[in-house]
Amino acid sequence: MSQPRSAPPAVGPPAASGSDAWARASALAGDWAPVAGRILLALVLAWFGYHELVRPGLWTGYVPVVSPASSLAIVAVLVHGWLLLVLAVALAAGVATRLAALLAAVLLAEIVISLTISGGLSDLTLRDAGVLGLAITLTGVSQRRLVLRR
Amino acid sequence: MRLGGEPVGRWGLALLAVTGVAGLVLGWHGWATRAATAAPSLAGATSSAPAGSPAASPAATTAGPARSASAAAPATAGPAAPSGSAQPGPKLSSEPYAGVAFQVWPGTLGTAARQAMTGLKITVRRQGNGLLVTAGVIGQPASPPHRYAGGARVYVLEASLGDDSGNADYNLGDDGLVVTDAQQRVLP
Repeated sequence: MSQPRSAPPAVGPPAASGSDAWARASALAGDWAPVAGRILLALVLAWFGYHELVRPGLWTGYVPVVSPASSLAIVAVLVHGWLLLVLAVALAAGVATRLAALLAAVLLAEIVISLTISGGLSDLTLRDAGVLGLAITLTGVSQRRLVLRR
Repeated sequence: MRLGGEPVGRWGLALLAVTGVAGLVLGWHGWATRAATAAPSLAGATSSAPAGSPAASPAATTAGPARSASAAAPATAGPAAPSGSAQPGPKLSSEPYAGVAFQVWPGTLGTAARQAMTGLKITVRRQGNGLLVTAGVIGQPASPPHRYAGGARVYVLEASLGDDSGNADYNLGDDGLVVTDAQQRVLP
């Protein structure tokens, strides 16, 4: 006599379950990873923008060509800091993010090129190159989450 | 309204406008106080003994790695204020900046001290019972030497070594100088 067997539980194969979880994680990352990148880039820009605005004298050494002790260097730092601050808020709030990311990329490219010319390829230069890469990436991402639409 | 092909609403524009105005206010503050961040040197503005004083020891210690001319931003004054005869202050170990103080004199420079001194030039001479310290930023005119009566040790402050790269310090705003007596009390 054969022993009666209980029916196996009605669950899908493990491969399909893992695939679903991966798909959900991918969708989640697709939605929120650009938000994280946007806000982290905004933090970087805001930090530098704020400090350039309140203590411009400490940053004039970065201004190429112009003497660090000149008023022109101070003005250049102030303008740069103001731009960084506005771009930071635009990115954080999701206002015209691709345009803001593009402008940030231009500013960062100028910084990377300037540092490379003046000091060669250093750890700082390459770190800024990474931030530049983030800004460039955000120029191609359509923002859907945490944006100020109205 | 569209900016760069993206729709921007009234609130978005208002936020950018407010940020722009706030940035202008901050910039005005920065412009108004630019002298306060640009003038002081590491060792303070005054000195109580001339650099070529006959009492100065001929054995001088000069330290400071070479640095590119790109980072010429002035440094802010350290906690040591220019006054050679005042009483010692609290112990260095009790100060909040103790963790970022690197001894540069006497003795040989450690790796961290050498990195902390990036972009700076510090010269220390014994003079009587004190030290005659000249500190400044490489590439800029040196400030007059400052005498620290009872001085025994010299420290450089560097809040963030991450802004030192190779032979350049890209932010001298977090650098400073501290001189202590033999009991490690901060001298003014």
